[in-house]
Formats: sequence, structure tokens, C-alpha cells
Amino acid sequence: MPDNNVAIENALPRVDVRQKVVGSAKYAADQYRPNMVFAKFVRFPYGRGKAVSANVEKARRVPGVLEVDVRIDDYQEMPGGRIGHIVAESEAAIEDAIEALDLKFEHERPLTDANLEKQYNGPKPTGNHEAIRAKFKDAAVVVEALYQTQVQTHSCLEPHGSMVDHRGDEVEAWASTQDVTGYHDGLKGRVGNVPGSKVVVHSDYVGGGFGSKFGLRAEGSLAAQIATKYKRPCRVVLDRDEEHLDAGNRPGSIQYMQLAADKNGRILGGKVHCVSVVGFQRGGGGVNNPVGGLYKWGDIEKSEDEITLNFSIPRAFRAPGWPQGVFAVEGMMDELAAALGMDPVEFRQKNETSPRRARQLQTGAELVGWSERKPDGAWPGRVKRGYGVAGALWPKWPTPCEAECRIARDGTVEVRSGVQDIGTGTFTVVTDVACKALGLDRSLVSGLVGKSFYPPGPGSGGSVVSRSLVPAVREACANALKQMVAIVAAEWKVAAADVEYADGVFHSKSTGRKVPWKSVCGVMKDSVLVAHGKWERGWAGESDGSSDCVQFAVVDVDTETGIVRVRKIVAVHSAGEYVNRKTAENQICGGVTQGISYALFENRIQDRQTGAMVNADFLNYKIAGPVDIPDIVPVLDQDDSDTGVRSLGEPATVPTSGAIGNAIANALGVRVRSLPITPEKILAALEPKGASA
Amino acid sequence: MKAFDYAIASNESGALAALERGYRPKASGIDLLDLLKERTAAPDSLVSIADIATLKGIREEDGGIAIGALATLEETGAHAGIRKHFHALAEAAAEAATPQIRARATVGGNICQRPRCWYFRSADFNCLKKGGPTCYAVEGENSFHAVFGNGPCHITHPSNIAPALVAFGAEIVTVAPEDGGRTIRAADFFMLPEDGGIMKENVLKKDELVTEIRLPAAVAGQKSGYVELREKQSFDWPLVSCVAAFNGTKWTIVLGHVAPTPWRAKGSESLLGKAAAITPEIAEKAAAASDRGAKPMSQNAWRLKLVRAAVRRALLLADGKEID
Ligand SMILES: Cc1cc2nc3c(=O)[nH]c(=O)nc-3n(C[C@H](O)[C@H](O)[C@H](O)COP(=O)(O)OP(=O)(O)OC[C@H]3O[C@@H](n4cnc5c(N)ncnc54)[C@H](O)[C@@H]3O)c2cc1C
Ligand code: SF4
Repeated sequence: MPDNNVAIENALPRVDVRQKVVGSAKYAADQYRPNMVFAKFVRFPYGRGKAVSANVEKARRVPGVLEVDVRIDDYQEMPGGRIGHIVAESEAAIEDAIEALDLKFEHERPLTDANLEKQYNGPKPTGNHEAIRAKFKDAAVVVEALYQTQVQTHSCLEPHGSMVDHRGDEVEAWASTQDVTGYHDGLKGRVGNVPGSKVVVHSDYVGGGFGSKFGLRAEGSLAAQIATKYKRPCRVVLDRDEEHLDAGNRPGSIQYMQLAADKNGRILGGKVHCVSVVGFQRGGGGVNNPVGGLYKWGDIEKSEDEITLNFSIPRAFRAPGWPQGVFAVEGMMDELAAALGMDPVEFRQKNETSPRRARQLQTGAELVGWSERKPDGAWPGRVKRGYGVAGALWPKWPTPCEAECRIARDGTVEVRSGVQDIGTGTFTVVTDVACKALGLDRSLVSGLVGKSFYPPGPGSGGSVVSRSLVPAVREACANALKQMVAIVAAEWKVAAADVEYADGVFHSKSTGRKVPWKSVCGVMKDSVLVAHGKWERGWAGESDGSSDCVQFAVVDVDTETGIVRVRKIVAVHSAGEYVNRKTAENQICGGVTQGISYALFENRIQDRQTGAMVNADFLNYKIAGPVDIPDIVPVLDQDDSDTGVRSLGEPATVPTSGAIGNAIANALGVRVRSLPITPEKILAALEPKGASA
Repeated sequence: MKAFDYAIASNESGALAALERGYRPKASGIDLLDLLKERTAAPDSLVSIADIATLKGIREEDGGIAIGALATLEETGAHAGIRKHFHALAEAAAEAATPQIRARATVGGNICQRPRCWYFRSADFNCLKKGGPTCYAVEGENSFHAVFGNGPCHITHPSNIAPALVAFGAEIVTVAPEDGGRTIRAADFFMLPEDGGIMKENVLKKDELVTEIRLPAAVAGQKSGYVELREKQSFDWPLVSCVAAFNGTKWTIVLGHVAPTPWRAKGSESLLGKAAAITPEIAEKAAAASDRGAKPMSQNAWRLKLVRAAVRRALLLADGKEID
């Protein structure tokens, strides 16, 4: 049985904190091998069109250039479209070759913005509520609104990249991937006739993935292709511009909702129409408007659609579809509460589907000082304070995972699994769970992940890694302990059942003899004792797999300038058992930070004339910085029914924008229904009422 | 980045000799390296001026203050004399960018940094400022572009300290190989596109080096206030800034980040007349007149509301009043 107390008592720093701080942690982008070549894609910069000429001969003559391949007349429908590649002995030579190519393009007016192109043809608020009132006879209030969210790019700190070293009969790759096993599967078919068993993938440290680093991807394919051709190590690492253009984005959304509630505050149902604003093709992560979950919605009629723009296809992005949906849904919850004259927390309590979230609403309200909240727009003065709340849930996706516990004669232990640590703290999770399971401390135990030759584990998606990994690690450790006990029993000539083990000491119940861990390791027959563990669907700990959370926001909005300062976020999360306090709280704080950035700043902007992205960097693509981050209070919520490790990484970022949106509306007395909530939009919202000073 | 020759000058004459041969000056390189990486600039040769001792430090002399071209924003923001007599300048320096950048950014580089226009910064657009045929901002994405000025280029001047230099009547001192150099009023240093400032933003010649910025002796009753409004609170440039300076007899109101040069809010200035004391009502009225002559573009009129707020607040702050 999982032990509820361990985890929460463990507040040790991450096992790799030193490596990360001093820079000795080596990422894929840090890999430089002797005799290495560099490869880079040639890209089309505009929304739609093609390259019409290129001076390939001149580019080939640039010293150090090995290969230039450009497709003229290959019609592209996204800025950053790949129209060829260059291989060279240095990055500088590649840059000079691109210059020498002197590419000429032809381009047409692109589709760059769902509002601009007027492509939305779904329902809009009309104020006509006859149909819905006819359907719901008990309707006391009907509210109707259109919500919009922007396109957010993944913006991983470590760019996407691969370094593939082809040595003729074996291949070694260093990849920035969130799925070591999947990357290996992709790579092994692309390296000539080297068998999969001779293909090794390392993903020791990864600087974020957020859903954009699954599979071999274009960079990995190019690195594999060139390495195979030249039998030299090949490095392909995207630059920041390419990251924004061709490495993933969260699609935008337009969401129409019309909902009715009765006079007691019970939601009766209504209509929801959701449109995902995607790239030139659809991809992962379209809007997931969580009517159906989260609250008791009653009878909902739901429809969906898509708008395509000239941009790269979207990819799954931390809680794909959820932040978009929750921003709209939680806004509607407040609009309904306001129409009924009810407190937003009280209104949610009435429609809550989860007793756990009902409890979190109460805890959070107390911690954030909800009683200080004033009616919408009633805070005195120019700078108005607002309070807002939003919730989320996260389902479970049981995913098989294997682990291996290896005990060496010197007493040290390695616990390995082919999952990866994308910044989440997985090294720490494996280490700490193994320490607890083996009764040893970190000086003897290393948790290891990120190699393709470790027992297979899931990719980092759906927040499944810790929940699948922890039971596998526990089982591997338990199996290893059984073998250790057998060694001791044989040595002492007692039955295995007579031998007990705790905290590094074996002990015979009948004779009272004791022997420490290291002494037993010293007499092992084999140099390494190996035990496996595996977790699959149906494991006993899977009693209640979903996670719940509620976040509260406090904001100050300057009504003269429209500038928002988030002052506090209280984030109450239940994720079952916590293995390490620091890594758990880090996940929450990171998710909240990304949520603040989504709520107020991040926004892909394309030039409407050409389709080029004008803010494809970190100066114009605004991301929340240290001064924009408020006091974040992570609360690890737990009760007796919370057994087993559950998901935490994704839900942490889901409700933040909804809570901030509601807090801003509470402060102002008017609502901005479009993300990001910028000073411009706030000033516009205040305009008709002349509320600004 | 294009390969370039690199020289390090140890004194002003060494630097000038290099400039004469076509080298471009590099101070701390914060802006310059970005331009090189984006290939917005691709000089064949650079000369580092960062080691030239005579360009460093801040001196109080003849009642005024001389800020060496290599003095950092951090030094400028922390200097006791500047804080006391030219408060708005100290604040503008101290609030720019981030602590790391302020520790390196030089005042010479700050007033000479190139604009942030995203079309200018992107290799994908050959706009007027790069010698191309058109200003893409006019029909394109111009939310952060100029709300004052006649074009045809619509950048906003990115320097935090430039408006304060204009407001305090600072002078910019240069050296040059041919005529030895000159002293230029800050107000004359920055150039509007219509006055020839399309491909460059100031009157400096290619081989001319800024050596120092001189602030005049402070006068009795001098006071000033600085306000900048930011969407993000760090790692970004302001949306709008304002310096309100009273020189004992009249107010000068200079706006930043709203026009291709620091921009005098003459509407506000004339409204204020000689009123030394600022009441909330006067501040409000002056603020309301701040958009006189504004020429917002298709997406940026909203920033005029910020201009108003900045003017109102800068005046109140200058007079030691609370901003309500
Ligand atoms: C994230 C970020 C945020 C920022 N935010 C702000 C902000 O809020 N406010 C603000 O004002 N700035 C801001 N900056 C810009 C920064 O302050 C400037 O880039 C810096 O001041 C430039 O100084 P430097 O010494 O590095 O100049 P360099 O990059 O070395 O030079 C800049 C230009 O000036 C020329 N030059 C330098 N010195 C001289 C001289 N003595 N004589 C003649 N020409 C010279 C160079 O040739 C070059 O063209 C920000 C920058 C970044 C990266
Ligand atoms: S504002 Fe100036 S720099 Fe920007 S696109 Fe127009 S001409 Fe170019």
C-alpha cells in the first residue's frame, strides 16, 4: 500500500539541482562530437507562396558547405515551411550559404488571424433567448457570450534538436525528446541497415517539451539522414525563430456559449459551439470545452468547427485544449453567478461534480481571503483589486511502465526506467521512491532515466509518467529485496520468512542476528543483482485516478492604463500521493507561471500582409518574467482516500487564465472575454461605461 | 551573423582611426550583437570602445554633470548628483530593461540603439529604414508603433534616457576625425524621418563617436518626475514614458516610446504655462492636452490613453504629490 506520509515529508532538493545550476547537466543541444557536421532546414518565411529562384551553385561554393538542396516552386502554406536543407562543417558556413542562396519568393495574401479573415460563421450573442427559455421552463437566467483565445507557441527553453552519430555498424543519438522510447522507434528505421539493438538514444536532460517533443520529428529525421549518408555525427538544432514557427503551438479558439440556470443556482443546460483556430492543417490540441465534466451542466447541445490559417499545424500543448476551454467555461460560471446575484464560490459549490473540488474551493477561499472580495467593479479608487476562481480536473490514462533495480556488490543501487526527465523532476522521483522502498538514503541510490536501453516507459504526455513509474519502481525494488532476503536466509540457513528487513538492516526473527545492507551486497554471487518491475492497467493503487484542482487569483488592475498586476495565486491541487514536496510544488508553480503568461502576454502575431510571424523571438513574443510573477501558494491537498501517485503536471496550468480572467472582471465590473487580456483590451472594455478615471 | 574583423581600441584616437577606416563602434554590444545575429546589420569590421578609460565614469564639474559614454545605466541610475538634481533621468535609467542589462548597457549605446520595429528587426522585410520601398507597419501590425510624427517611417525611439536628456537640455559631446567633434543639444541629436532620419535615428556621422553627455548646472526650484508604463514589468521596453521637468520658470514635458524621437508634448506644456505647483486638476488638464498633434496608426490609438496617464502622473510626481 502506498504510504501517504512519506512523500509529503520529503522536501529534499532535486537530485540533479547542482548539475543544472553549475551547467554540468548536458542537454542534446550541448552535444558537440569530433568530426561533426551541421545541418539546417531552408525555410519559406511567408504565409503562402513559394521560392522562385535560388543560387544553389553559389551556396555550394561557400567554404565548408557539403550539401545544398532547395526545392523551387514547392508551394508552402506556413511561415517556416521547409523547402530544403544545407549541410556544412560549421553553423557559420550554413548561414553564409543561406545568404549566398539569395532566395527569391512569390507570395500571396495569407490568412493570419481568425478575426481578421472573418472566417467565423458560428452563432454569436444576439440577446434572443426564446428558444432556450422554451426548452428550459425553469430558467431564471440565461447568459450568452463569445470567448476567444489566442495561439500560444510552446517556447521550450531548450530548442528542439538531435545529434545523431552513425558509426557504420552502430548509431548513437542525443535527442531533446519527451519520449525516449518513441524516438528510438522512429530512429531505428532511418539509419540504413543498422539493427534496432545497435541504436542507442540518450535524453539525459531535456529543457521542456510541453507536448512538442514527441517522436523523431523533422530535426531528428534530417540528422539521421545526413549522419547515415556521411557516416559522421550530424547535429540539427532549431534556432528561436524556427522554434516559434515550426515546433508547436496551442491552437486558438472561439467559443460561443449560451447557458440557463434556475433560481436556485442549478445549471439547466444550453448550447456550446467551439471552434479551434488551427494551422494550414489540423493537428493536436484543439479546444476542449469541458462542458460534460467539471460542473453539472445539465442538457447541453454541443457543436464544433475549425478555422484554418497559414501557420504550422498545432501540437499537443500542456493540457491540450483545456486552458482554452476552462477560460471560457469559468468565465461563463461567473457570468451566470452574477446574473443570479450569487457568490461565484457558492454558485460553483451548487454545481460541483467532485467532493474533492468542493473541499478545495473552501480551502482556497480561506487562504486567498475571499471574504475581502467586493462586488464586481466596487473596489474603490483607480487601482481596483479583483478576486477570481477557476477549477480543473484531469483524467487518468493508465500507461504501462517498466523499471529495473540493480544492486551492486558495493551496496550501491541503480534504478532505471526508459522514461525521461523533461524538467519535471523524474530523476528525483525514481530516486526518492527507490530510497523509501529499499530503506536506504540517496548516498546509495541513483534513479536513472532517459536511455533507450532502459526498460521501456511512457512518453511524457497526459501527465502519466510519475503515476505509471512509481508503482513500477516500487515493484522492482520489492522484487530486489526478495532476492536479497533469500541471500541472507541461505547464509543464515533460516527460512526466508524468518528474515525481516528495514532501514538498511536484515534481521532474523528466530535468532536475532542482524546484518547490514552493504555486508549482504558484498557476498552476492553475481556482481549485480537485477530485478524487474512492471506496472499495468488494473494495478491495485488505481482506485481513483483523476486529479482535481482549484486556483484563486488576486489581481490589481489600473483602470487608467489597463495594466494588470497579478498579486497572488492560491493553487490547491490534489494529485494523490506526493513523492517529493519540492518537485510537486515546482510543477504547480511552473504551471501557474505558464498560465499567467498565457492569460496576459503570450500571443503569436503574424503580419497580415505577408503572413510572416513578426514576434518570432523572445523580445516581441512576450512571456511573463520574474517581476510579473506574484506570490504563488501551492497547496498539496490530500485526504485519506488519496492513494497512489496521480497526475499533476498538466492540470497545474489549466485554471490559471480562467481565475485571472474572472479576477479582472471582478475588479473592473466589465469582462474581457479574449486572451491575452492586454491593457488595450481592458481600456476598450472600460470605454463605453466611461469607467476609466 | 556575417564574419567581421574585430579591433579593440585603447584610446579615443585609436577608435577614431578605426572609424575612419569604416569600423563600426561597439560598446557593450547588447543591441549591436542582436542586430548582427538578425543580419539587420552586417558590418565588415567592428571596433570595441569598451576599454577606453576617458569614456568611463560620471563626473560633477562646473556645477553640471558629465556622464561618460561608457557609463552604465546602473551607474547613471544610482549616481547621487543625478538622483538629486535630474531625478527623472536617474529613474529612467534605473527602470530600463533588467538588472543584468543595466549593469552592462552604456548610455552611449542606449541613445544610439536601433529601433524595435519588428519589421526592421526581421530579415524577411526590406522596409524603408533598410533602403526598401515601403513601410510595412502602415498596413500591417502597428500596435506598438508611433502615435506621433508624420512618417514615412513610424518607429518609436527605444531609449529610456533620451526623453530625460531632451527635457533637461543635456548636450551630447562627440569626437570626429575631421573637425575634432562637436557639442549637440539633445533635442537636435535625434532626427525625425521627415528630417532625413529614415535610415538612421540621429545626426551622428559614421565616423563620429559620442564621448559624453553633459547635464547643465541645476537651478533653484528644478524638479522632475518620470513615469513609464509597461505591459510586462521587466525584459521589455515601455509602452509609453514621460518626463516632466520644471526648470524654475517653465515645464518641459517629453514623451518616450511614442514617436521616432523623444517627443515634446507641447499641448501640455502650453497649458501649464508658468504654474510651478501642480494640483490634480492642473495635471488632469495638461494630460488631456497631451495628444495634441497625435497621428495614431490603424491599431495604436489606445496608447494615447497611456500617454495621458503618464503625463498626469509625471507632473504629480515631479511636484511631490501622490498619484491617486
Ligand atoms: C531584454 C531587453 C530589454 C531592454 N529594455 C530596455 C528599456 O526598457 N529601455 C531602454 O532604454 N533600453 C532597453 N534595452 C536596450 C539596452 O538598454 C541597449 O541595448 C543598451 O543600452 C545598448 O548599450 P550597449 O553599450 O550595449 O550598446 P551597443 O550594442 O554596443 O551599441 C549600440 C549602438 O550604438 C552605437 N554606439 C555605442 N556606443 C557609441 C558611442 N559612444 N558613440 C557612437 N555610437 C555608439 C553602436 O555602434 C551601436 O550601433 C533593452 C534590451 C534588452 C535586450
Ligand atoms: S516603421 Fe520604419 S522601421 Fe518599421 S517598417 Fe516602417 S519604415 Fe521600417
